[in-house]
Amino acid sequence: MNNIINFFISLTNNFKAKVGLYILFIFIITSIFAPLIIGSPSDYVGVPLQAPSTEFWFGTNGQGQDVFAQTLHGAQKTLFIAFLSGFLVVLVGAFLGGVAGYFGSRLDDVISLLINVFLLLPGLPLMVILAAWLPPGPLTIIVVLVFTGWAWHARVLRSQVMVFSNQDFVLASKVCGESSFRIIMIEILPRMLPLIASSFIGATIYGIGAQVGLEFLGLGDISQVTWGTNLYWATNDLALLTGSWWTYVPTGVSIALVSLSLTLINFGIDELANPRLISERHLSNKLDGEFDRNSVTPVRMKNNVNT
Amino acid sequence: MSILNINNLSVEYIGDKSSTEALKNISIDVDKNQIVGIVGESGSGKSTLIKSVMRILSAPGLITSGEVIFENKDILKMSDEEIFDIRWKGISLVKQKALNSLNPVSKIGYQMSLPFRYHMGLSKAEAEQKARDLLELVNIDLIHFDSYPHELSGGMRQRVIIGMAMALQPKLIIMDEPTTALDVITEHEIIDSIRGLQKKLNFSIIFITHDLNLLLQFADKVCVLYDGELVDFGSVDEIKLGGKHKYTKKLLDSMPKINLLDKKINETNNNETKIISLENINVKYQLGSWLSPEILHAVNDVSIDLYKGKITSIIGESGSGKSTIAKVITGLEDLESGNILHFDGKEFLDIEHNLAFRKKVQMIFQDPFSALNPIHSVLHHFERPLLRFGMCSKNEIKSKTLELLEMVELNPAEEFLYKFPHEMSGGECQRVCIARALCSNPDLIIADEPTSMLDVSIRSDILNLFIKLKEEFNLSILLITHDIASASICSQDIIVLKKGKIVESGSCENIIEIPKHDYTKNLISASMDDWFKNNSKEK
Repeated sequence: MNNIINFFISLTNNFKAKVGLYILFIFIITSIFAPLIIGSPSDYVGVPLQAPSTEFWFGTNGQGQDVFAQTLHGAQKTLFIAFLSGFLVVLVGAFLGGVAGYFGSRLDDVISLLINVFLLLPGLPLMVILAAWLPPGPLTIIVVLVFTGWAWHARVLRSQVMVFSNQDFVLASKVCGESSFRIIMIEILPRMLPLIASSFIGATIYGIGAQVGLEFLGLGDISQVTWGTNLYWATNDLALLTGSWWTYVPTGVSIALVSLSLTLINFGIDELANPRLISERHLSNKLDGEFDRNSVTPVRMKNNVNT
Repeated sequence: MSILNINNLSVEYIGDKSSTEALKNISIDVDKNQIVGIVGESGSGKSTLIKSVMRILSAPGLITSGEVIFENKDILKMSDEEIFDIRWKGISLVKQKALNSLNPVSKIGYQMSLPFRYHMGLSKAEAEQKARDLLELVNIDLIHFDSYPHELSGGMRQRVIIGMAMALQPKLIIMDEPTTALDVITEHEIIDSIRGLQKKLNFSIIFITHDLNLLLQFADKVCVLYDGELVDFGSVDEIKLGGKHKYTKKLLDSMPKINLLDKKINETNNNETKIISLENINVKYQLGSWLSPEILHAVNDVSIDLYKGKITSIIGESGSGKSTIAKVITGLEDLESGNILHFDGKEFLDIEHNLAFRKKVQMIFQDPFSALNPIHSVLHHFERPLLRFGMCSKNEIKSKTLELLEMVELNPAEEFLYKFPHEMSGGECQRVCIARALCSNPDLIIADEPTSMLDVSIRSDILNLFIKLKEEFNLSILLITHDIASASICSQDIIVLKKGKIVESGSCENIIEIPKHDYTKNLISASMDDWFKNNSKEK
């Protein structure tokens, strides 16, 4: 537990990660409290396709609904589905990858085969077919995302667990009579925290993209308000033809901002996990940005020593 | 006439707010055709020094003062292009872990011909002819020209690397721990051939190692680095007499040497109770792919008896199966055939790797840094085994841990409770590992190369600790090592293992004084000081 707290503290010390966390924080807070401040996004509040004004900040869409309310409400469902699917993808991946990597031999053969089969399946068509076949709704989207997304993370985590499971500290735990489950959960997985965290973020970014894509194609539940359905209705109402840019730009920018924030956090994690990147940054600061990693070791004479 | 002059070289590692001085005003000069040895423990700046000379030190390293004059030019003032001209042609480098420096997927001959093609612009045929000459020079049969690196032994691969370093006839070759990964006999052969080549081709060598004894046998001058400072620099004879600095003296004293007279162990143990007995053990590994499986017979028909209150050593080079034996006893590896019997106080029983057995047999691993999980504190490493083996209740964990830490001479013990592995030195980590093994009050401790990753200056301390524990608790210890000298200091029985088979076993005195098998004789003579005088090929 200490480990996780330390990890977050060091993450907030990183500039890129800090910016990313701020953006994400704003989105999460507004999406949680949106329903308390603004009315229902499904209400028909005004004349359709009004441009942004002081009354409707982001204008109204083709049905005369408030785009601002729809963007905020959409954030709630979209982010919830994205984070939940990211979490489940990593959970399934870490479990199967961890078991395969730790126990090895036959069990590893079977799970690796399964992983390879899932990696070979073309993800996008499978996703579209599954989403069309299952009853539309948030649950379907999550199931589809987890089903098509876990294999890659299982593979990455498996190889890392494999490296650790032959190291002396794991053997030492075995000699102390620890159970395999405890060794995986307490000794090995916490050491892979940066990798797991960045897998989670990668899976979440993928989750947002894929989810919005599916709903844009009309494969989600179109009666719900999400960023995906917002875009779906915008095309249905011929937003491009009528030139009503305000019906799709706010949603698009939101998606871009959330993805950006997650990517920034991922950069921060990358630096935490790879101290070389940090040391290159420090050296570059010291040399006023004149550092080139492919060049020879820099020389900067201290005058007082040489005289 | 000196070929390389290092004057007042300082190197800093740049941090966010503060910087660490890795090298402080180092001045060394290397003459033509001279072998200069650099010795120091890990973290003393040996590798930083040679990396700065080659200017391949990566971030956050920054050279902050000094000059490195090579053939009247200052390397520190050169541009990238000028330095690329000097590397390989002027100064070449044999890196640490050279075993990994060869590309596993291309053939030896091809790899050796590359420097000729890139740096001298020779055609493929000409370059290959040069590579053949080079192989002959380093005494490798030309059959291996088309071999892949994995088909060569460790010593041969090391020769290939040294040959490549000599390809363009540089004036200076820097060798960074070139023999650390090899066993003693191969190590001596390699150094012997390096010396031969050096006499023949006339180049200078900077030889970096942590083994001062080895340096004193063949170097011309020795530098002693300690914590980034050059504490001693002198000819071999000066250093042999103790040098100027007290650290040099400590290094000289701490080298384990075969010495039966100084043996501190108490031999009055007549009560010979067997506690574990291995009968005709066989372990096989399956290598290769499943299409063409290769069977490696790691342990071949080995029988060993371990007695209560005795220290038994298993000696062998890497790949001799000594670690496998340790893993078989602790159940980390499966047996192919044979029996392990365990005396439970009344009768001998077949071994079962349950908790009761684990409580009696504990293990210490080779690398103390990887044997402790870096994300857990010292206390955590004790908490689990203490609770698991039911040694004490939850409230007593702290006091029990303190007691154990004091037992392994970690004082003051309170300070270590909440430390993490990276906050301790290698020696301290290894002591924590030893204390952890003592948690369950075991009958037998298996120590798998407990000193090989540690700096020489603390090796003998750890060995003395083993002797102390054995005397105090009547512990049995199975010490696995490649170093016959450390085995001779602290063990009563010695077993010599080669390629999975026992070649010789018996009491320590018998083995050291009247070795019967050639392999044992070689091992013993290789760890004597005068090996080069007696065995050098040039004479």
